[in-house]
Amino acid sequence: MAAVSATSIRWKDFECEVGFYGHIKENLTLLEAKPETVEKVCEIVKKQLALKDEIVLTPDSKFSALGADSLDTVEIVMGLEEEFGITVEEDNSQNITTIQEAADLIEKLVQQKAEA
Amino acid sequence: MPPQKIEIFKSLEDWAENNILVHLKPVEKCWQPQDFLPDPSSEGFHEEIKELRERSKEIPDDYYVCLVGDMITEEALPTYQTMLNTLDGVRDETGASLTSWAIWTRAWTAEENRHGDLLNKYLYLSGRVDMKQIEKTIQYLIGSGMDPRTENSPYLGFIYTSFQERATFISHGNTARLAKEHGDLKLAQICGIIASDEKRHETAYTKIVEKLFEIDPDGTVLAFADMMKKKISMPAHLMYDGQDDNLFEHFSAVAQRLGVYTAKDYADILEFLVNRWKVGELTGLSGEGKRAQDFVCTLASRIRRLEERAQGRAKQAPRMPFSWIYGREVQL
Repeated sequence: MAAVSATSIRWKDFECEVGFYGHIKENLTLLEAKPETVEKVCEIVKKQLALKDEIVLTPDSKFSALGADSLDTVEIVMGLEEEFGITVEEDNSQNITTIQEAADLIEKLVQQKAEA
Repeated sequence: MPPQKIEIFKSLEDWAENNILVHLKPVEKCWQPQDFLPDPSSEGFHEEIKELRERSKEIPDDYYVCLVGDMITEEALPTYQTMLNTLDGVRDETGASLTSWAIWTRAWTAEENRHGDLLNKYLYLSGRVDMKQIEKTIQYLIGSGMDPRTENSPYLGFIYTSFQERATFISHGNTARLAKEHGDLKLAQICGIIASDEKRHETAYTKIVEKLFEIDPDGTVLAFADMMKKKISMPAHLMYDGQDDNLFEHFSAVAQRLGVYTAKDYADILEFLVNRWKVGELTGLSGEGKRAQDFVCTLASRIRRLEERAQGRAKQAPRMPFSWIYGREVQL
């Protein structure tokens, strides 16, 4: 399964990125993670924070709003590392505050790993 | 704190007199710094100083960084007496109040006062450290104060002091052990005698909290979880020497590396307290209380796991100069 490296071409307010499967994704936002990744992150977060199944998480769900303290956040990152076989640097883990941010970072690291 | 909770402490005055004040040592039976230092009135004074300095020469800089940090912490005692007097229900209202709590606070302060005095004199005589920089750091630290987030609550306050006394007991115990390893038995004795005071104080504070668990298990377990969520911040975490903006961080790193006071110790202290107060056996808790109980009982292993991970990926730390040792560098 080849991972195509994402290149971004910027003109003023317009970003054009090449997606994972070689499609050109026109997007006003940065490359977004696969739905499956987001799903997996939600699972891990729910487990860490002992959230009831009925609770619906969205990509924008903030960990802190879900009741996570700093210890929970680090453990969520640890859980993600185990699940995806990646290593998250300290400075990166500070920036993970939502499900989407976690998923995006995971995809980036998985891809870097594949290219290494 | 609600009035009925403050009442608890009023009603515990007699209990405190019989169960807590007994952990104080009468002044006539107490050691004094002079017992461990060269005697200026004796003929052998100069010889004793010479011997002291010969022993100190054999002790490395990184050890001194830890000892100095500990001494500075002890010397910020005014902050700690103040902190105890912010607590509702137990504060010394006049400075000479005769409640058991006030008597405890003053006597505790008086016992602690000897620690800073002894370490100060020892470090001064050793000739190994820059006293002016150290004195400056102390002045800054007392000026900064400390906010352990105990919010006037004696529940939070005594949980905090229980933790801290055990932490200092462990820390001074380690500096004693290391001093012995470096061949300075007198210094080992000094650190050891200070550690034994801290142990006695730990016994007193943990007894108070044990009583609170007995009287108000729900309130106390909630307080314990609250303090642990806030994290037990070190009394000297605001330390500054006029040069290093991250002085406390650097000092802590050296203390961690030398095994004087480590993240593992933090987890161990927490576990000790959970067992000491039999938190896992508490019954009749509210829903919130049960969650707090669960949090506190599982926290130590979570911290250890985190620490394992951090150790596993620890990169080589830099060397850092410390003004306390004339700008010489030590490995963090």
